[in-house]
Formats: sequence, structure tokens, C-alpha cells
Amino acid sequence: MKKNTRRSAIVVCAAASALGLAAGPSSAVPSTVWTVTPSPASFQAVNVGNIVLTATIPMTCTTSNAAGVMNSATGNPGDVADINTMNFGAAGSPCTSVLGNVTTTSVTPWDVVAEDYNASTGVTTGYVGDVTANVTAGACKFTVTGEASATYTNSTGILAVNSVAGELKVSNPVNCGAIVTVNTKPTFKGNYAVKVAGTGVIPTIVGSNP
Amino acid sequence: MRVQRAATPRPSRARARTTSIAAFVVLAALIPTTASATGPQEVEAELPYICTLPSGQLPATVRISADFPERAESGEAFSPTGVTTTVELPAEAVADLTAREAAEVRAATRLAVGVAQNAATATATWRGSAEPVTLPASGPLTLTTKGDVPSVAGRSDGDLTFTAGDLAIDLALGTTDPADTAAADPGSLTVDCSLAEDAPDQGLLATVPVGTGGPGASGPPSPSGSAEPSGSPEDGQGDRPEERRGDRSPKVLENSPGTAADRDVPPCRYDEQHPPTDVSLNAYVTGYANVKKLKSAAYLPPSCVLIEQGLPVMGPPDPEYLIFDTVSYANFHYQEREQTPPFDATFLSFDFAPVKATMVLKQTGPMRIDSRMKMSLIDFTTITDTYVRAPLVLHVLDLEVNGTPLDVGSGCRTETSLVSEDPDPANFPGDHLVLYGRGEQIIGQPATGYLLLSGGTLSGETTIPAFTGCGTDGENLDRLLTASVSGPGNLIKQVQGQTCAIAAPVFPSPTNEGQCTEDLQPYEIPVAEH
Repeated sequence: MKKNTRRSAIVVCAAASALGLAAGPSSAVPSTVWTVTPSPASFQAVNVGNIVLTATIPMTCTTSNAAGVMNSATGNPGDVADINTMNFGAAGSPCTSVLGNVTTTSVTPWDVVAEDYNASTGVTTGYVGDVTANVTAGACKFTVTGEASATYTNSTGILAVNSVAGELKVSNPVNCGAIVTVNTKPTFKGNYAVKVAGTGVIPTIVGSNP
Repeated sequence: MRVQRAATPRPSRARARTTSIAAFVVLAALIPTTASATGPQEVEAELPYICTLPSGQLPATVRISADFPERAESGEAFSPTGVTTTVELPAEAVADLTAREAAEVRAATRLAVGVAQNAATATATWRGSAEPVTLPASGPLTLTTKGDVPSVAGRSDGDLTFTAGDLAIDLALGTTDPADTAAADPGSLTVDCSLAEDAPDQGLLATVPVGTGGPGASGPPSPSGSAEPSGSPEDGQGDRPEERRGDRSPKVLENSPGTAADRDVPPCRYDEQHPPTDVSLNAYVTGYANVKKLKSAAYLPPSCVLIEQGLPVMGPPDPEYLIFDTVSYANFHYQEREQTPPFDATFLSFDFAPVKATMVLKQTGPMRIDSRMKMSLIDFTTITDTYVRAPLVLHVLDLEVNGTPLDVGSGCRTETSLVSEDPDPANFPGDHLVLYGRGEQIIGQPATGYLLLSGGTLSGETTIPAFTGCGTDGENLDRLLTASVSGPGNLIKQVQGQTCAIAAPVFPSPTNEGQCTEDLQPYEIPVAEH
């Protein structure tokens, strides 16, 4: 069991260092032109599977959704989408933890930022940026800010958020005792299915360097 | 009969003695003695009802099954067993629920059952509850509830009849579709149903002959031309039994304040006498407390609890777990006092001697809530164990037999707090009730079970101490109450609702499960479970 834990930790480290590179080994030169199709266009994203937020203890959201506008972009990194709505939980399906139900209020816009594109797999690597969210569980309140590593796969339309400890930070913890402090390193993990708003169309992101 | 007694009053001293004896007989009769009851009659009744839904009145089919004794002796208490209520609501009703974005529903039923013997009638409420069911995509919705029902004793000869009356269905609605993010909170709904006019036998469920007489004793009830209510003063707590001759619209008479489930709950607010802090929470709690000796359960109505949420601290070091301990404190809050609202335990009996005790649980100190959260460092499974320790003395405020109050005096109570075996007696000495709940979360899955902030089910077992200070004018009721009620092994099950955090209120919205009303009272009113 411990061996497995160690191995997965190595995998996480490897993934993190790959993300740290502006250009991964998959592309010879960094993409500077990001072609989003359609563009500009509104999008909706709904969780596929549960979303897990962690702030020392895990919290599970069975419902989460996002909406915003996507745009082709230039440069690296490239801001390919603004997330204008980001909900965790809903009436009837709150996010839960062993502390109790957790309410997360996102302060938007957040961004989707592209850094690398693998033409052979159609996978864009980057992060969800400008994250700001106010979290409460009973009298315990804190704010989470930062970014969360993510990939987007054109063939499936899945935005996979898989943040690494240290990308997100806690500020202003109140009445959370030892569970959530400024030293807590929150994480945000989960998959979202992205569609062009009001349609079943999966948008695509293609990076290139003309 | 109570009517005649009221018409020819006796000297009060003599009446008091009589009612005192009656109380003993009735309370004793509440212990079911099945020895003389012959084999059960299995009843399966299918009855047409008309239910009022948001979209209008709709027909519904209600099936009630229960086992009644073939016959019973005069004075012999029995409870119908295996009581199951199945309600089939038409597809239009399902549309009403899905229009509220509901995907599943948890039902609780309250069936008014008219009980009659000869010219006298009373009404009991048969409560049932069900596990959540998913709303069907098409076709009717079938809800099946089960629950225990009050006992009945007929003390004169004659047929005891049970007749189905009004049915209230409390529906707690929920959304289960994780993709349904834009859903409004479907909330809850009470659907009132009345027996259709064309119901067979006007809803008659069963007839249990009482007494040893021949066929004459089990003949139809013989109406009396002189029956009138005795006119005993109401006690202000509501749901007093009424005698209604030939009246099929029942009144609630059982161990609950009848309309509590209609969201008629006492306020639960911080105020000038109890100003909130930034860790203040409030919540309702409700449930049942079994009285083992009476083989009956007292319903504790939704009661307000004000809680000061503790700050988690690191627990003892452990190689396999990360541990946090939290100590919170709480008080019941009813009319500025640290007690529950008064609640009635009414035991249905015949020859019109229903016995009603009005009681209250009063704190003798703060309630302490100890929560220990343990997160496995191996698989990140987290568990929170919570112990609620409450020093609570049971006070009897009023006792009525056949509508005649017995003066229990102002100091009728248990000698000490309700007592539970404490898992940590060295650190928690003294008499107190202990309730326990566990919350658990496997990583990636929703948390389940009891958690202080979000509520859930707490359970425990208690000994009811002897009573003291009961009775006046030389009539000592201590022994009567102690013999009837006191003793060990009484199970308690309480359901706590979601707390409202005063300094961080979460109001209902499409994106948030409501925790607080606009005036910072608990949004959720929990429903008691057997």
C-alpha cells in the first residue's frame, strides 16, 4: 500500500515538472496561436464524476458546473476562455465533508489558460487561473486563490482539473481551528464535460506555431 | 362515560381518587398483553382518496395493511402491527414534483384513524416513514411507508372499529441528478388527502370485538342521543381528544402535537438575551423517545438548539490518522429557557379515558458536544464520531385522565437527569444523557451520517429515573409514574437538521442548499424517524 502511495507521488511530481515547462516534449516549439472552434462562443461545462476539493480534509461535490466565453488567442500562455460562472454544489446536492456541508462561492471571472498542445493526441495542457473562491463550513470561513493545473482533450471535450499542492493558497481563515490555516495547501480535482452553450457540440482547441 | 360523569359531578375528592385509580389502570393497560388476544386478522384495505396537489385535486389509491387481533378483552391494550400504508399518486402528481426540479422523494404519512366503540369515538394518528425513492419517468408514483402506531384498549364490551380518515403525506424532495445544476431547491411539500365519498364501508379497516359477550357485544355501535363533549377546559397544548358521535372527520390524538409536521415549529432565533457570536449556530432537533415499560414512544417535537461551534484542535498523534478534536456547547432554547417545548404523550384508551401527559425536558447544565475527526493517512477516509452529553431532567407538567386533570403539582420530575452509560465515565462523571452519531466520507464520495454542522441521526439509550414531587393534597403520584414509566433500556433517536451559521449564513438559492431562513433561523426542519 505504501509502495503504491510512493509511486503515485512520483507520478504527480513528474506531471508537475512537465507542467512547469512552457513547452513539453510533445511539441518542438511552443504554440503561440491558439485556435478555438467555434470562436468566440459561449460554453457550458458540467462535472463528470465527483469533484474533490481538499483543504486538509477532502470535500466532495456531486454537482458542479461552469459557463463562460471561449476565444481564439495568441501568445504563450494563451487565455482561451473566461469562466464567468463557477458553481460547486447545488440546492439539493451540497458539497460535503466530515466537517459538514461546504459552501463555495466563486469570485469570477476565472481563466482557462493554454500552455502546451500535443498535436498527436489533441490535448492542450495548461491551468485554470485567477481562481478565487470563498468557502464556508458552518462558522469556518476561508478564501482560496491561485491556479489549478488542467488539460483539455478535443476528442472528448473533457476539461480535467488536477491541481498540484501549492498552486492554490488559503487566506483569511476564520474559526477553522487547526483544520484550515494559511499553511493549508488546497487542491481542486475533477472532470468537466464542455459543450458549446445550448448545443451538444464539443469545442476544440488547437495550438500551433506558424 | 365521560359525558355522564360530567353531567353528574361528584365531590372533587371522590373524583380525584377515582381518576387516580383510572390512571393506573389505563397506564397498566398500555402494556400489550397478547395472551388473551386471539390470532390476528390480516387487513388489506384499498381505498380511494382525493389528494390536493399544487396542480389541483387528483384521485389517489391508498392501500392500508395491518394485523389486528381477532378479538380482545375489555381493558386489554393492543397495537395493530405490521402497519403499512401504500399511496399511489397518479402521473399528474409526479409532474407536480418534477416541475419543482425534484428527482427523488422521501415520504412520511400521517393517517387519521377513527377509533370507535359504541357511541364514543376518538382519533389516533398512524405515522409511517419511507426511504427515498426516485421519481418515475412516467406513470404513477408509489410510496410505501411503515411505522408503529398507538395502542388501544377498550374497557367496555362492544365492537372496536378502526376507520381510515384524512391522510397527510409529507414529501421531502431532493435532486439526485449531478448534472442538474440549475435546479432550484425543490424543498418539501405536504399533500393533504381525504377519503373519497365512494370509499367502501366509509373507510372501515377493521372491527375488533371486545369483551366476552355473545354476538350482541359485537353489534354495531349504538349511538347515544345524549352524548356531548364534557366541556373540560382545554390545556392550551392542542390536540385534546374530543368525543364525536357519528362524526367521521377525526381529530389527532396520539403522542405528537398533531400539526408539528405542518412546519408549525417554535422560533429558533438568537436575540438580545442570547446574542450570537461569530461561531453561533442554530438547528432544530426532533425524534422519538421510547418508553420501554409502556412499549410506546413519545414524540419530541422540533426543538430549537443554540450551538457554539468549537474550534478544531489537533488531536493526539497517531501514525495512521490525522486527528482533530472539537468541543462545542449547546442549549435548548424555548421561550428564553433551556428546555424543549412541552410535548404530549397521549396513550389512547377507552371508556373515554385517554391519558395525556404533558412533559418537558429541562437542562440542568450545558449540553457538551465532542467531535473527533480522524482522517486515514493511507486512503484518506475520514470519520467523525460525535458524542452529545446532555443533563436533562424530565418534568411532567400536566397529567389528564379522561379529560380530568390530575394535579401533579409544580415540581413533578425525575429525581435526576436521564442517565446513559458514558463511554468515558472518568472524564464525564455525573448523570446525563449520551447520544452518539457518526459521519463518514470515503474520498471522492459524499459524506454520510451524522455531522454536527449538517445534522443527521443521533441515538442513545437511557434510564428514566424515579419520579419525585408528583401530586398534591396528599395524593402522591410518584409511585404511579415511577411504576409506569421509570426504568432502563429506553431507546432515543433524534434527528438534527442542518445548522444555520449566523455569521456565515447560507440562504437557499439554485446553487446552494439552504441553511438559514432570511431571519437567520434554521432553514431545515428535520422529520423524526422511528
